[in-house]
Amino acid sequence: MKRKGLFLLLMMTMTLLLTSCWSKKELTDLAIVSAMGIDEIKGGRFHLTLQIINPGNVAGGMQGGGGGQSPPVTIYSASGDNIVEASRRASGRISRRLYYAHTNLVVVGEKLARKEGVSTLLDALDRDPEFRNTSTLVIAKNSTAADLVKTLTPVDKIPANKVLKTLEFTERKWGENVKTSLQEVMKSIESPGRGAVVSGFRLVGNPQQAQKLDNLQESAPAATLRASGIAVLKQGKLVDWLYGKPARGTVWILNKIQGTNINIDWAGKKEAIAYQTVRQKTSVSAHVKNGKPHISVHTRVEGDIGDMEVPVDITNPKVITKIEQSVRKEIKKELRVAIKRAQKNKTDILGFGEVVHRTRPNQFKKLKTEWNDVYFPKLDVDVTVEAYVRRAGLRNKSFLSGVKDNQK
Amino acid sequence: MEKAKISASQLFILMVLFELGSALLVPLAIRAKQDAWLAILIGMLGSFVLFLVYHKLYTYYPDLLPTEYMQKILGKVIGTLLAFIYILYFMYDASRVLRDFGEMLLTFAYPDTPLFIANALLMLIIIYTIRKGVEVIARSGELLFIFMYVLAVAGFTLIISSGLIDFKNLQPVLEEGLLPSVKIALSETLYFPFTEAIVFTMILPYLNDSKKAKVTMLCATGLSGINLVITMLINISVLGVNLTARSQFPLLSTVESIQVADFLERLDVFFMLAMVIGIFFKVTILFYAATIGTANLFKIKSPSMLAYPLGIVILFISVTIASNFQEHLHEGLYIAKFILHIPLFTIIPPILLFIAFLQKRKSHGGKHV
Repeated sequence: MKRKGLFLLLMMTMTLLLTSCWSKKELTDLAIVSAMGIDEIKGGRFHLTLQIINPGNVAGGMQGGGGGQSPPVTIYSASGDNIVEASRRASGRISRRLYYAHTNLVVVGEKLARKEGVSTLLDALDRDPEFRNTSTLVIAKNSTAADLVKTLTPVDKIPANKVLKTLEFTERKWGENVKTSLQEVMKSIESPGRGAVVSGFRLVGNPQQAQKLDNLQESAPAATLRASGIAVLKQGKLVDWLYGKPARGTVWILNKIQGTNINIDWAGKKEAIAYQTVRQKTSVSAHVKNGKPHISVHTRVEGDIGDMEVPVDITNPKVITKIEQSVRKEIKKELRVAIKRAQKNKTDILGFGEVVHRTRPNQFKKLKTEWNDVYFPKLDVDVTVEAYVRRAGLRNKSFLSGVKDNQK
Repeated sequence: MEKAKISASQLFILMVLFELGSALLVPLAIRAKQDAWLAILIGMLGSFVLFLVYHKLYTYYPDLLPTEYMQKILGKVIGTLLAFIYILYFMYDASRVLRDFGEMLLTFAYPDTPLFIANALLMLIIIYTIRKGVEVIARSGELLFIFMYVLAVAGFTLIISSGLIDFKNLQPVLEEGLLPSVKIALSETLYFPFTEAIVFTMILPYLNDSKKAKVTMLCATGLSGINLVITMLINISVLGVNLTARSQFPLLSTVESIQVADFLERLDVFFMLAMVIGIFFKVTILFYAATIGTANLFKIKSPSMLAYPLGIVILFISVTIASNFQEHLHEGLYIAKFILHIPLFTIIPPILLFIAFLQKRKSHGGKHV
């Protein structure tokens, strides 16, 4: 009897321990940080801008739409000598405990990225058990990270989600931006002789206007966020911005593009045929000729014809072959532009050094230290493109062909 | 020795769980960089030789615990002393693994909880299991083994389907040649986790079919070795060599990287469960070996009586063993290797075998020659 009683007592004490209430966090005590902006202020101090979700307003914002509402996110900021200090100091301004497990976006101001580089920021984020290093890194172009984080966005109520979704779709559908996680950025910076690419984001319009809920009351908001360019980081520091063709060529060589659009000239008319890629595969290989590394880039594209502005008889397979050839040339040009630009920047953002390291580890050992500055800019690169037209939408010949026939 | 028997399949399961235990969670053999898998494989093959030695000793004395046959081989005084050293080692190792458990929980999930509480909660369950004896350990092993493999297969499928694996991270193979991998295999992976299973010589006398002992031991080591190789291959191909080397728990980082269909993510609990199961068995088996060894050496009738005092000792050692995690790791990797692993796993057993062999030949001499 006594034994049973003792056992019961033990069980009861155990249940008290097993509820794991030691460091409980109530949902109502958490401030869920959706995005984090990091800027530099005077004297090498960091300025942290935290975008915190207002749970009630995210759900309710859809139906109400009245003027008196409060925004879906609230911004708090604090500064400190490092991120950890700034984050702790911010607790003086927020009624809740900062919770970073859902922070999917880290924005770094352009000034900080250019001067100090992102390298010094990353360790704190990498080390913290709560923070995920699958978060996306973005550089605020022409503005401070704070302005970008403060901007309210339409359609996607939480601005961080808007930025992430934009990047995700534009990387796949257009290809002039990349979505790179903290993990990928660290991997690129760490690998010998490699530069990192990070997408840029830009605030278009007046920063003051962007923070106001009024901004969202218009069908065409005066201030919006837009993905803009690819930042080239050399040893963690911003050295160049890529736009347009070099940007797309870079994303292409990194094998991240899915669908994009390529225009070719036809019958004397510029950009007459639009070719939409459906899938592509790019592989980079290295070999050594006369003791010098040599890189081959091979890409294989499949796609459809999306638009023809001149009459073309595509029922004839020979014409299709000709279109394919022009597409090849066009893509090749774009890839070459991207490679030239990277070589001019003396930054191996395309990962060619890694390819040499993988296939020729012994040779790379000698090249490693001067790869970016000496060997990479002088590298011979072969580009071969295979492009195929598979389908042409719902029509064969364009109605323009009919128009042309009638004129005869 | 208690009167209990376990089957060969139960031994197999316990051994696999034991060797996966904490080895699954750490960056095993990462000093061999992208060839870590090779170092693990070589370590596994090397351990086969030592397991044959341990097994041969067992065939000489199939019904005796090592603590007993050491006395037969080396004489009363030296044998007892050596057996005592082994028992101390098992307790030390149990507390090391327990510390690993606490450190992982604290680093990753419970930063505000004191280490002692985390360790004590696991230790309470382990003490309870030890009191129930080896049959209960074996049966719970069967149950949790299936659970662990379901977790592993699910996690593996998710990692593949989220497209994270990039085999290019494993290249270049043999960047520095074969020598560094062999070196790391012989200096690290051979001992942790493979020949650490020398503790199973304490469990072997409970096996109901002594003929199956050899096959079971080798198969279990083979399976766990292959599992560890696959785990390290995945870790490196997902994270890359540098991040794997930087991670305290690379498997956790790999699991955290899973993002399937925008909702299957943050599956850290997979890692936690695998960790708790693996470590639970590792500590339990080491602790059990220490308990029956002590009971046998000091002629204590019921080993389960020892569960509380020894358990509390292990718990306290686990907390006081090192003042921080880095010190704890350093101790395991560099100090324990020379003063414990190499003598206890690779030097003493062959010497014992040699002396036993001479003794046997002498006693059977007349018949055979």
